[in-house]
Amino acid sequence: MLNKSFAKHYCLMLLPGLIWLFFFNLFPMYGILTAFKDFNPGIGILKSPWIGWENFQYMFELNDSKIIFRNTVAIAFAKMVGNLIVPLVFALMLNEVKNRMFSRTVQTAVYLPHFLSWVIVAGMMLDIFSYSGPVNQVLSGMGFERILFFADAQMFPFLVVGSDIWKEFGFNAIIFFAALTSINPEMYEAAAIDGASQWKRLTRITIPSIMPVTVLLATLSLGNILNAGFDQIFNLYSPMVYSTGDIIDTWVYRAGLIDMQYGLATAVGLLKSVVGLCLITVSYSLAYRFANYRIF
Amino acid sequence: MKRSALLILAAILVAVSLTACAGKNGNSGNNAQSSSSSPSNESSAQSSSENSATPEEVIDPFAKFAEPTEISIGRSIDPNYKFEGSDTSEDNIYTRWLKDKFNIVVKHSWEAAAGTDYQQKVSLAISSNDLPDAMVVNETQLRQMVKAGQLADLNEVYEKYASPELKAVYDTNPGLLDSVTFDGKLYALPETTLPSAALTWIRKDWLDQLGLQPPKSLQDLETIAKAFIDNKMGGEKTIGIVGTQQGGTLYSTFLNSTDHWYNFSPLFFSNNAYPGIWVKDQDGNAAYGSILPETKTALAMMRDWYAKGILDKELGVRKSTGEVVASGQSGIFFGPWWSAYNNIPDNIKNDPKANWRPYAAPLDAAGKFNSNQATGSSFVVVSKKAKHPEAVIKMTTLHKWGKDEDYKKLTEGKQIGSNETPLFLILGAGDQLEYAVNSLRKYLAGEIKLDDVDIINYGWAHEMASHALKVKKEPMDDYDIQYFDQTTDAGFFTHIYAHLNGGSTFVDADINWVRSIATAQTKTMETRWTNLKKLEDETFFKIIMGTAELDSFDTFVKEWKDQGGDKITEEVNALK
Repeated sequence: MLNKSFAKHYCLMLLPGLIWLFFFNLFPMYGILTAFKDFNPGIGILKSPWIGWENFQYMFELNDSKIIFRNTVAIAFAKMVGNLIVPLVFALMLNEVKNRMFSRTVQTAVYLPHFLSWVIVAGMMLDIFSYSGPVNQVLSGMGFERILFFADAQMFPFLVVGSDIWKEFGFNAIIFFAALTSINPEMYEAAAIDGASQWKRLTRITIPSIMPVTVLLATLSLGNILNAGFDQIFNLYSPMVYSTGDIIDTWVYRAGLIDMQYGLATAVGLLKSVVGLCLITVSYSLAYRFANYRIF
Repeated sequence: MKRSALLILAAILVAVSLTACAGKNGNSGNNAQSSSSSPSNESSAQSSSENSATPEEVIDPFAKFAEPTEISIGRSIDPNYKFEGSDTSEDNIYTRWLKDKFNIVVKHSWEAAAGTDYQQKVSLAISSNDLPDAMVVNETQLRQMVKAGQLADLNEVYEKYASPELKAVYDTNPGLLDSVTFDGKLYALPETTLPSAALTWIRKDWLDQLGLQPPKSLQDLETIAKAFIDNKMGGEKTIGIVGTQQGGTLYSTFLNSTDHWYNFSPLFFSNNAYPGIWVKDQDGNAAYGSILPETKTALAMMRDWYAKGILDKELGVRKSTGEVVASGQSGIFFGPWWSAYNNIPDNIKNDPKANWRPYAAPLDAAGKFNSNQATGSSFVVVSKKAKHPEAVIKMTTLHKWGKDEDYKKLTEGKQIGSNETPLFLILGAGDQLEYAVNSLRKYLAGEIKLDDVDIINYGWAHEMASHALKVKKEPMDDYDIQYFDQTTDAGFFTHIYAHLNGGSTFVDADINWVRSIATAQTKTMETRWTNLKKLEDETFFKIIMGTAELDSFDTFVKEWKDQGGDKITEEVNALK
């Protein structure tokens, strides 16, 4: 049981966080009103006339909406799965390497790309996959046709997902490494004495031990299903790949900031947030059920 | 890896700096042919406001303010520009001169890298109604601000504070002030850069090596590009014709004019197609150029050229076209006369023999050189809340005509340009380019003396002429690169080279201008245009690059009409 003065301190410590939350997360929410108004920046959001659901109606009429929604979910889902499995497998594999020096070096090397911005990585990718870039040189050396990767709508989502996994797997693996080190070594020793092979030790001890972490990460990432990565796609896409690469965020950027269609852009963004909120709620309840993870 | 990373970094820097210069370096980019509407409206508006003004106080446009007058601006900066010492774009020779001499203190509310970053920041400022006193905006932004009632009416301060020279500039560019006057209120100071045609720039040294003639028809152009590629003029990876880069457009539109810089506009024009602007169809009604059959013809040709490798294989995906030109990989691109300012010098640095020459080509089947006249330019606007709109007028005047002896002493041997000058605006008489080019040519030919060049109205032409003999070598009427001295007067080489090389070709060209009926968004466009433009870009790129059938053009036309295009066309027709 907490005594009263103890609880007061805790509440005081909450205060800065709450203030921050209010000003940066709750207060800006009134901007959502833009979605229901004929927004005129000169007179402000509150005084602009109401137009009801017009923006939303138009949004659902638009062909684009379906396409960008589909693209967003597809790309984000693929990233979610990839960003879970690849780091997991990588961590398991590296865990089997007994040379400490080597595994440390590899670990450091693979998480470095996480710190590069997408502007840099996208620039490198465009160069590497360009018509006369190294990838095409290898292809043509082997007798294949050169491919213009970034103008190919079929290829584009794979490049996006692939490069995202490449950039992040080292960093995402850190949490698995942490989980792996927390496994009691006595279990391995006992298993070894009982005659368990390397493979048996992996499937019977290692994997079950890190399963809760994996499930937790999987469920929590559900909340991000509509975040397909603006920075990355913005730096890589072109009209050639709109059909598979244009996502909600890039579309909102073009409609809102380039063409100044504030209301419509807000409506689309709002829909994204609402769906995102539902997914987060679901994912947290799942996380509680499967991994006993709770915030409160 | 390291090398490619560096290359990319370099490419990004080049791209950024090029876009930064795109709007700025084309100074004195005017032509006389451009505008025909009468100045009568404008003068009547002015005289009416004159009448209403209280008893005439005489204001000297060049006087110092009694009190320090602060003005806050949003500023686009070129991230690559090196200032002297600890100078910045907010505190440099120019701004200090403004402060000491005229009591105008310029404060930056915010800064953003020139180009997309800056446009984005301006849009954000507009939408949040958090405006600096003044900033430079584009046409769409101007209209948005007018609609939102965010701008100050400049009529009165313009009348009072604009110097006679400034007024004369706008008088010689008839219609320009009308275009920024809404309901009798003057909402902006427009730049006088008027549309320029896209010329075909070709490495003439390569032509000479191969014994080829400059192009006239599309056929010639194709032959030349093919010859450049086949003979590997730019090395193993020679690219035929370079153009649109990532994030760029295939042609200039009525909403976004980039003066046709680095796109493929001429390929459309020579097919009598004018995509992206509103033209008259056979019946005299307004029609959107992109959905007319001529555009399909042009696309068919470009598709064919792309398949043959004449057009850059990586068009639309390439990170930087400028880099390709600078590295000497390509010998052909399309661009306005001032292209000689922007990317050619980079190429010349790498290869001093690179002899880029502009041609008013390709011609259409009837032998005419066509160009659209895309509007859209820069505007200085002043926020309604600004305390000293007059300071903005004064700064504009001073930038052009206030450069006294002190200024000349301060800036001796230094080039002061858009990076130092706040609210940089290109201002010139309507015939400034023509005059500058012609007087330069006559002076070099010995037909006139330096004193004959009008220093009062065409100061820039006079200044260039005074440096010309150090830059231009005999024969004076041959503008190939070997007849220029690039080192003796390096500060003026680019100016004189660009005016003689690009400017003279543009001034002499016989251009068949096609103007857009609409120059701003209509009501329906405000909501539908993002979608329609996406449809258009996607379809056209895919047709050219061969991933969609040519006949998908017909589907596009139908969809375009159904998804709001027909309604917009009605609205544009109402504008006529």
